[in-house]
Amino acid sequence: MLPVACPGIFNSHDLWQNTFMKHWLWIFLSIATGIGFGLLYGWVIAPVDFVDLTPDTLRADYRADYILMVAEAYQSENNLDLAARRLAIFGSDPPAEIAHQALQFGTSTGFSPSELNNLEVLIQALRTWQPSSGVMP
Amino acid sequence: MIGKRLPWEPFLTLLIGLALGLLYAWVISPVAVVDAVPSALRADFKDQYRAVIAAAYAANNDLRRAQSRIALLGDMDSYAALSAQAQRTLSNGDALQSYQLAQLASALQGNAPTIPFSPTSPAEEALTPTASTPVLINPGETAFPIDTDIPLPYFTTTPRATRTPILLPGAPFKLLEQETVCDESLMEGLLQVFAITSNNRRQIPGIELILSWAGGEEHFFTGFKPELGNGYADAHMSPGVTYTLRAADGGAFISELTPPTCQKENGETYFGGLKITLQRP
Repeated sequence: MLPVACPGIFNSHDLWQNTFMKHWLWIFLSIATGIGFGLLYGWVIAPVDFVDLTPDTLRADYRADYILMVAEAYQSENNLDLAARRLAIFGSDPPAEIAHQALQFGTSTGFSPSELNNLEVLIQALRTWQPSSGVMP
Repeated sequence: MIGKRLPWEPFLTLLIGLALGLLYAWVISPVAVVDAVPSALRADFKDQYRAVIAAAYAANNDLRRAQSRIALLGDMDSYAALSAQAQRTLSNGDALQSYQLAQLASALQGNAPTIPFSPTSPAEEALTPTASTPVLINPGETAFPIDTDIPLPYFTTTPRATRTPILLPGAPFKLLEQETVCDESLMEGLLQVFAITSNNRRQIPGIELILSWAGGEEHFFTGFKPELGNGYADAHMSPGVTYTLRAADGGAFISELTPPTCQKENGETYFGGLKITLQRP
């Protein structure tokens, strides 16, 4: 014969456990749903709007195009200090290194030979360039 | 009777979750700034970008490319932005950069409306390298992902346009017109000067003018009052003083300038002004 437990007590304990678990399950699900909506809104619907960015955040092609413009201008202006100052907006790396990055990008993405040549000329000049006093930031 | 309890707990926890989600998305791990476009740059960096575009245009004289580059900055009015920057630069004493900016502004104005950017025109396609030449990119493919409506700078293997000499600051001006202006609404002794080109009478900003008289001279520039014209400049002449006017970069030398005597309807006299138009051949 099976032992007869006190059915009332057993049921109330089970009921208590069920209610307790359900309660926390609901809380967990609600928070998870809220987080989901929060991320959706914060990342997709209304992400943080970035303005007033610095040039180091520019996409690689824009960055390379800017450097190419500096190289083109250098061809006619022949002013290395000015070219270096223009490149300095990308940070404290040596100007020749900054220009070299553009050359690498240009080589891999199909800059024309004359554009690549302009960049090479600028890089060569910058490698031997010594900043004039007060020119570089 | 048992009243229905409001299900506040799910709402409260949902709100807590939403707040946590936004905290993470906006503060802890916001969308990272990479691959920014030039239009998102800070104003001073945009100025720098614009100046380099103008310098590159002065070097290669490739207006179409300059147009596509300047469009990247997202200016509402590229011409106005360039003109304003040219004037600011001039007032800071950088005449060369001011001239380059003004030249690009003038060129853009002369070609308005802006030619829509197209990566490959028929002429370019005709010049596309054949299989026998080193092909650096596949013209049918973009070299980088395009995820924006903003026209990208184009990188083609087409040869550059032949460099043609552009007008230099020293190209001499000629006196085209000199008029007496009797207008009571204008300041007495007002000298109005317009600097224009000969081919399409486009006004030229950034021209330095020198007004001299016995014992002194004054330097002033066209383009500082764009509302009156980009090639407009003015100065004040005192009655009884004889002036000479010339452009700083040479050319016409206009002498014997003095405020004319004009007459009002009631017979009273007053000093009028002069309007001089200089033309660059």
